[in-house]
Amino acid sequence: MEYKENTADYGLDLHCTSIIEEYRRMLPVLQKLGDLVLSSIRKCLDRNRILVTTVEGRIKQEASLAGKLELKGLKYNSLSDITDIVGARVVSFYYDEVDKIAALMDNIFEVDWENSVDKRKALGKDSFGYMSLHYVCRLPKSLYFDPDCPQINDIRFEVQMRTTLQHVWATMNHDTGYKSGVQIPQEYTRTLSRLAGLLELADDEFTRLRREIADYRRRTEQLFKDGDFNEVELDSNTFRSYLASEPFASLLRRISDINQAEIQPVNGMYYLPVLLKMGFSTIGDIERLKREYSDAAYQLAVHHFSGTDIDIISSMLALQNLCFVYLVDNGSGAAEIARFLDKVNGKSNYNFDAAARIFNAVKSLPYMKKKEKKKE
Amino acid sequence: MNVTIYNEGRQTKVVLDGRLDTTNADQFQKDIAPLMEGADPDIEIDCEKMEYTSSQGLRIFLMLQKSVTGRGGKMVMKRMSPQVKEVFDITGFSHIITIV
Repeated sequence: MEYKENTADYGLDLHCTSIIEEYRRMLPVLQKLGDLVLSSIRKCLDRNRILVTTVEGRIKQEASLAGKLELKGLKYNSLSDITDIVGARVVSFYYDEVDKIAALMDNIFEVDWENSVDKRKALGKDSFGYMSLHYVCRLPKSLYFDPDCPQINDIRFEVQMRTTLQHVWATMNHDTGYKSGVQIPQEYTRTLSRLAGLLELADDEFTRLRREIADYRRRTEQLFKDGDFNEVELDSNTFRSYLASEPFASLLRRISDINQAEIQPVNGMYYLPVLLKMGFSTIGDIERLKREYSDAAYQLAVHHFSGTDIDIISSMLALQNLCFVYLVDNGSGAAEIARFLDKVNGKSNYNFDAAARIFNAVKSLPYMKKKEKKKE
Repeated sequence: MNVTIYNEGRQTKVVLDGRLDTTNADQFQKDIAPLMEGADPDIEIDCEKMEYTSSQGLRIFLMLQKSVTGRGGKMVMKRMSPQVKEVFDITGFSHIITIV
């Protein structure tokens, strides 16, 4: 139905026309209520650190209200019987967050349980379709009260809560036919139901995935606490946590002490693919690298810095030197070191010459010479 | 050390000639001060004739790079001699500064 300037032009009966007129009178209050509802929801979600994809609201358009009254006007005695004139929607990422958000809405608003409906449960066990939780609420006086506008606390509004995928389905369903007044052929209804099932499955999988990742993080943190590094697989999460524990601080301090150097902090995550490529698969492997080669890595720094006045180094220098001595000690030549430099510093024509210098420097370290002697 | 700065299109070119050490680091910092501001931040530093850089030089390059990237630009150092490159390598700065 389209908007009509004159309420009588909607062609509704007297009763429904009076509801439209009431709507027009109440519009400023409804808009004020809509703003209050939205800001209350946003504040509440922020306070509880719940990240959602969308918080949105709307006041039902007059034409849409007229359409509703045309279909089921007799059901309503007055405007206050229509509970979705003011509506808000919270769209969450995960299925299990919908219930959490619902509990928060129950905390901040007065929920009219009789008229609230969990459409997720309204569907039969063997059918798929619209999944959303609808709460009909009132604004409690404890949250907002204006003596000049006390009716604002009596007006009911609707809060819809659903996941992003449920929202996608609802939007597509709405777009493809609902409310259009045209009966959709059964084959399309079936396709929509199948898609609802697919999205429900995806919702469950995303929620399960998040739970499993959280469990994995907790397990890994515990392994870190227990110092059981051999069990901790090397990946972006574990390596980030490992770096945060400053595992090379002691070696770095020894190196910086050579020339009382300032340490330039650098995010060391770029080393992860390099270490994986070198064959390290657990945090324990890096701990072993550190244990076995710290002295040699320090000797390499002494070789480089003694006789210079260089007094600034990268915070990743300790790991860089550990990798150099590890590579040479495990039979790598200048070519492998050049490839290592390509990965760490980016491909460059300089890398092969630099690798040759590093190879010779490592070979000349007391640590390596001692090892050679032992072999003889 | 001689510092030549000129513009080529939207890019600023800096040509360094000589040693960058404690004796001239302050002057170098003054020379490049105008590059720390401006709307066209892309900078190319030609190091072919740079003979050496001290830690002070590394600090200044780092500061300049931070300023350039902070303004959405890019700083690259080019044609470095092996001796100068070695200073960047042994300090771990070859990853921090873009050297091509």
